[in-house]
Amino acid sequence: MNSLLARFPVRLLIGLAAPALLIGWWQWQASAHIVSFAPPAAVGSALVEMLRSGDLLRDTLSTLARAFTGLAIGAPLGVALGIAMGIWKPVDRVLGPLLHALRQVPMIGWLPLMGLWFGVGEGTELIVVSMSAFFPSMLNSHAGVAEVERRYLEVGSILRFGTVQRIRFILLPAAMPLVLTGITQALAFAWIATIGTELLTGAGSGLGVAMGQAQMQQRLDVMLVVIGATAALGFVINHLFRRLRRSALRWQPSLP
Amino acid sequence: MTPYPHAREDRLSAKTGRGELIVSDLNKSFTINGQPRRILDNINLTVRPGEFVSIVGASGCGKSTLLRLIVGLDTEYSGELRLDGERIATTSLDRGIVFQDHRLFPWMTLEQNIELALLNTDTPRARRAQIVADHIALVNLKGFEKAYPHQLSGGMAQRAAIARALVTEPRLLLLDEPLGALDALTRVHVQSELQRIWMAQRSTMVMVTHDVEEALYLGDRVIVMSPNPGRIRRIVEVDLPHPRDRRSPLLHRLKDEILAELTSGADADGDAGNLVHLPSREAR
Repeated sequence: MNSLLARFPVRLLIGLAAPALLIGWWQWQASAHIVSFAPPAAVGSALVEMLRSGDLLRDTLSTLARAFTGLAIGAPLGVALGIAMGIWKPVDRVLGPLLHALRQVPMIGWLPLMGLWFGVGEGTELIVVSMSAFFPSMLNSHAGVAEVERRYLEVGSILRFGTVQRIRFILLPAAMPLVLTGITQALAFAWIATIGTELLTGAGSGLGVAMGQAQMQQRLDVMLVVIGATAALGFVINHLFRRLRRSALRWQPSLP
Repeated sequence: MTPYPHAREDRLSAKTGRGELIVSDLNKSFTINGQPRRILDNINLTVRPGEFVSIVGASGCGKSTLLRLIVGLDTEYSGELRLDGERIATTSLDRGIVFQDHRLFPWMTLEQNIELALLNTDTPRARRAQIVADHIALVNLKGFEKAYPHQLSGGMAQRAAIARALVTEPRLLLLDEPLGALDALTRVHVQSELQRIWMAQRSTMVMVTHDVEEALYLGDRVIVMSPNPGRIRRIVEVDLPHPRDRRSPLLHRLKDEILAELTSGADADGDAGNLVHLPSREAR
């Protein structure tokens, strides 16, 4: 029974059950006119139209590019700083309090300030997305290095490891599970921040921009297509990254 | 019988030292709740090159602390610790250690773990793979080179840890309850392995254990320690050649003697004072 449930087609079917129910409920809502809802058929035709015009593809690609550029800037900085803070206490003492205070501000909260400084546009969006990726990477990497077990460090001392050897052969690999957890979180945060900033700044193209425009044009069908695309893409990216993480950590006894 | 009846191998005689450990007037205190507490009190001991010495004693007698001092992880002590005449001030590749927990790095395979021990030795890179393979064979783990530690059983992981400690050919190998975490059956098996490895390797070994039988089976001498503070109470010579037979009447007689010694500890005159001052420690 368990092995049957674990099979991919079966899992896919079970996973699709809830969305199917949602669509059924939605069709009923749409025909009953309780709240403003576009019926699934209308959304379907909007999807076809947006696919044909290339709008959906264009918006998806610019959102993806923005999210991954932000990730590519924020995550390495966060990992590097988090590891540095874990290895050298003075770095943590000096920068830790400031960073922990700053991260209390929701990332979207930085938009007005960044907008004033850099103007409402690509630069501001990228800064906010990078910051969203930065914090979870930093916090998890820091914890990963700080929580390395002393008994492994003692082995390093017995084998006469120098500083670089200690970092390379003990601290980094021991911290890797949490570093990757941080990057996985950074990915999710960057994705959310991208859609959020796009929606608020409305600059250029992107799924968030399309959402904002659909709201102004009262195109419920378009809005729902974009929401669906955002959810599906986010899900796929996260899933792929979790697989990547698992293969990078195959030395661990078992992973959830 | 001579103190060390086994002819030494070329590989060890080629080294500068032969693995003679001298502990003289060693004292060690820890500060607990702001008060200094003596852990090791005036320890004097000479371990002959190539000898296997076992140390037994109740928990809290400082036997693990003694090993941490000898290996160089803890360097705050008074008195003298010398290996082949050289004062011990820090860790060294001349002194290896096996802990109760195997401490293999979980992110590396068995092979990588053992090879990593050679990182800071002057062993030529070209020879390293062969030396690692030899040591894996020595501890009977052929076929598990690519296994990660979590894929090994407790006994296998412990043998791998022994291989990692031996691969640098230390003059002195310290064993801190190396078999303490193993089940009884595996334990007996790894004890025999350890005896075989020691006979093949011939480096000086000092093993801490709380298992008197194990101490006697492996040791040329057994050091009996008493707690509060840690002192050497008695040194027992085990005048039996290796490999040994567990059923030997001599081992059984010595075991009864040592156990009597260890359990009568609290009544002895010397420790009565400690009982009064430190009742909580005895109650544990």
